[in-house]
Amino acid sequence: MSEIIVVENLVKRFKDVVAVNGVSFTIRKGEIFALLGPNGAGKTTTIHIIATLLRPTSGIVLVAGYDAVKNADEVRKRIGVVFQDPSLDNQLSAYDNMYIHGRLNGLRGRELHEKITKLLELVELKEYAHKKVMYFSGGMRRRLEIARSLLHEPEILILDEPTIGLDPQSRAKIWDYIKYLKKEFNMTILMTTHYMDEAEELAHRIAIMDKGKVLAMGTAEELKSMLGQDVIYVTLKKISDDNNLCKLFDFVKACNMLDGNRLELVVDDASKALPEVFRVVSLNSLQVAEASYRRPTLNEVFLHLTGRELRDSLEQPSVPQRRRVRGFR
Amino acid sequence: MSSSDAFASMIYRQLKRWWNNRSRVVMTVLNPLLWMVFLGLGWGGIFSPQSIPTAPGIPNMPSVADVIVKAIENYFKQLFGGVDYVTFMITGIVVMSAFMASFISGISVIWDKQFGFLKETLVASAPRSVVILGRIVGDGIVAAIQSLLIVLVSLLLTNNINLVNTPIAILYVFIMTLGFTALGTTISLKFSSMEGFQMVVNLITMPLIFMSGVFYPPTTMPEWMKWIAKFNPLTYSVHAVRYWLAGANAGFEYMNPLTDLAILIAFTSLMLVTAVKTFEKTTVED
Ligand SMILES: Nc1ncnc2c1ncn2[C@@H]1O[C@H](COP(=O)(O)OP(=O)(O)O)[C@@H](O)[C@H]1O
Ligand SMILES: [Mg+2]
Repeated sequence: MSEIIVVENLVKRFKDVVAVNGVSFTIRKGEIFALLGPNGAGKTTTIHIIATLLRPTSGIVLVAGYDAVKNADEVRKRIGVVFQDPSLDNQLSAYDNMYIHGRLNGLRGRELHEKITKLLELVELKEYAHKKVMYFSGGMRRRLEIARSLLHEPEILILDEPTIGLDPQSRAKIWDYIKYLKKEFNMTILMTTHYMDEAEELAHRIAIMDKGKVLAMGTAEELKSMLGQDVIYVTLKKISDDNNLCKLFDFVKACNMLDGNRLELVVDDASKALPEVFRVVSLNSLQVAEASYRRPTLNEVFLHLTGRELRDSLEQPSVPQRRRVRGFR
Repeated sequence: MSSSDAFASMIYRQLKRWWNNRSRVVMTVLNPLLWMVFLGLGWGGIFSPQSIPTAPGIPNMPSVADVIVKAIENYFKQLFGGVDYVTFMITGIVVMSAFMASFISGISVIWDKQFGFLKETLVASAPRSVVILGRIVGDGIVAAIQSLLIVLVSLLLTNNINLVNTPIAILYVFIMTLGFTALGTTISLKFSSMEGFQMVVNLITMPLIFMSGVFYPPTTMPEWMKWIAKFNPLTYSVHAVRYWLAGANAGFEYMNPLTDLAILIAFTSLMLVTAVKTFEKTTVED
């Protein structure tokens, strides 16, 4: 069986929000699969359901053939999870955190001790092994959590925003570990991120999520080729009543109205198409406020799918809910 | 994989946290000691009437005052189950502090929710039942060790403690603490905020303590209090521990160390089953 995780029509409704609204995807054995999307897209909720920490409102989740609701015990035996929010015991040492995790997950004795030592070395925390975690920096904690999740060599590793809030060096290091894991153990990795570069760098396939839905799925190349070669963005000065501006640009491969008087024009060669664009604009007595073109990146794909920049959506964190336990999403 | 490993690791974790927090260890012994000294010795004087002024009597004849003193002394001794008040009180406080410690250890579940460690235990490969039982037993062991320390400290204040029977008394304490730790755990799995839990703690612990016979014998309580005391598991552990530590028998007629044990085991089993069921159903949504 090559499909190790199957998610079908997953819905999760909290009291007042629909966090996940009909999500489906499958992950193949040995693949790195990323859920990419802004804050509040429903990534963490999806992952919590797969990790048996939340019950879905409806839909099916199978992990290695086991139902995540009915066979939660079997699912838990096969996964390792690094949560978005910290999950270490701050009052214990790094070593003790690893040790307890090992014993909770079927390891013991010499084997456990050697693995702990090896992994702490891998994440460069060996010399801090007996220091209490409360004295660790954010990056150190993150690395410790990753090391801990690897201790029992799970079939499936689930990483929720593995590099969120980390400095560039720590990020690079964690990327290296993730690549190493895939190469060394052929682990299946399901990760979430709101960094496009992270998804592009690590994942074989990416599902773009927004507002509880998967909008598109595929390799980074496939996603970008949705847009063609170049994308021109033209922002017009005056608001036009005509909401069908696209019909003016009949020479482009695709045209799309975005937020705020912005047009997205997909073309083969932007340097050739731009003069023509300006000509059409002035011919129709409109004025260009701003124009640019880019090779499409995942950001352009997100913009294409949602009309918003992924970066913009990051500026405004999801609306804080009623009082909830901090760090417990 | 072996479940006993997961069980042991949770015990290890609870013990290690306790030990890492040594100032708290000192407090857990110091606090009951203060109660013993001030309440025990303070009230102790009232209940042992040596201080009655003795009138000059006929030589070689017991004075009337002496007879009265003896009678009063006997009256109180009988009331306190055959021991003086200091001993009565001290043995009660041993149980009270174990009770408080175990119930409050439920708080650590809320801490773990807030700091995220609970998730780590929720996704472990080991069965959740084993994980939560390990945790409760770990806290139970902590409470039992503390009780033992308190018994040892109490030797400074009374010489009526039976050291030979102390291990039996601690066993009763241990069984009781498992029950109340399980109860505290269940409650805090249901509460997300520390304030909510604190309120429940005060609402439950104070009445249970005052209606258990820690400070006064249940037989002297008004009828309605007696009624509640009979349904209070703490009453039975107080009675039994007092019995084993000091040979006192201050309780309702039907109470003896065996019925105490049976009732405690029944209570604790019920609480453990409830805690396991609750933990098995726990999600991060609660
Ligand atoms: N326990 C919860 N109770 C109520 N709402 C929640 C809870 N957890 C998440 N949400 C809401 O569900 C939506 C999706 O959140 P989440 O899955 O954390 O998104 P992401 O991980 O993509 O940022 C958000 O609007 C969030 O506020
Ligand atoms: Mg998230």
